Amino acid sequence: MQKKPRVLELSKTLTAGGFHTGPDYILFDNGTEAWALSRKCTHLGCTINYHEKDDLLECPCHQSRFSTKGLVLQGPAEKTLVRYKVEKLKDGGGYIVTI
Amino acid sequence: MKVIWSKFLEIKWGNYSLLALYISVLSGVVVAWQYDPATPFYSVSTIDLLIPFGEYFRSLHFYSSQFFFLFCICHVIATFEQAQQYSRKQWIMLTATLPVTLLILFTGYILRGDSTGFSAGMIAEAILLDLPLIGQPINNLLFSITDNGMKRIYVNHIVGFCLLWGWLAWSHVKKYRVSFNNHIALTISILLFSVFVAAPFEPDHLGVTYISGPWFLVGLQELLRYFSPMVAGVIVPSTLLIAIALLQKRNRYYRCLLIFIGCWLFIYAILTLIGFLR
Repeated sequence: MQKKPRVLELSKTLTAGGFHTGPDYILFDNGTEAWALSRKCTHLGCTINYHEKDDLLECPCHQSRFSTKGLVLQGPAEKTLVRYKVEKLKDGGGYIVTI
Repeated sequence: MKVIWSKFLEIKWGNYSLLALYISVLSGVVVAWQYDPATPFYSVSTIDLLIPFGEYFRSLHFYSSQFFFLFCICHVIATFEQAQQYSRKQWIMLTATLPVTLLILFTGYILRGDSTGFSAGMIAEAILLDLPLIGQPINNLLFSITDNGMKRIYVNHIVGFCLLWGWLAWSHVKKYRVSFNNHIALTISILLFSVFVAAPFEPDHLGVTYISGPWFLVGLQELLRYFSPMVAGVIVPSTLLIAIALLQKRNRYYRCLLIFIGCWLFIYAILTLIGFLR
């Protein structure tokens, strides 16, 4: 069954190159564009983490790696991460993430 | 070696198993009073931090269940010769209690709702959903974490799997009565062990690079790295269960099955070791 989308509001504004980790998503903002990726690994569904030092996302269960755009860098995962719609509010009003 | 083996056979592993099971069920009732499947992580944190003796009872429930499983395995090994008298149906039903016991332990592990528990649940769900046709209905029946959170797992953990275990084992266990009074040393050991060793609970740490499932599934987790969920999560474990279910001396492939089970367990032990060394 298709799940009803959840709309999440984030009141803080990230600096350029900043990120925010929620329970289900990671939000990135490079200054010109904001996007959010699902934290559910496309291999078996474990919760992935963002490693700021290496600028990549990694699954702690089987070490699949993804770029900050969600592309697979290293398996066993084969599919890209799910990308969520993000609306960046004007005047530093924060973000609306639809997951 | 012979002395150790005869000493091993002398131990009443069946009685030990039942005793650990009693403690597990009783402590499980106490934990269930406080547990809310709608908020698993918060609930377990509350049990550990706020409920008087909550951490102790959770630990007692966790370790008595682990002891129960380990004693069951020892019991199967020690009484294998006597078990030859069982009919094929009885033997299959009794060996089926092993995967059901594992399912009870595993669902308890998921119900913690911490980082490893939640991920273990998601992996189980992904494995089931990889099964063509029957995967979705089985997942709906057993786990369904994505759609229903911990609700179904909780019901299966405390009722569904326990009833199934009881049905499979009843013709065997109904003959035995085990009293705490006759096993005071073991009872006190389990009660004291849980005072000093807390049950695991792992909050979500950002930046963590490796998490492993329960000890009995570390080998399977390792296997999932190399093979599809269907092969690693369904076919490989099923071959062991089928081999054990057929392992009776009257079976003409008895020796082949024994060798297969030995090799399976040896490879699984190596995979488990690799997983632990990561």
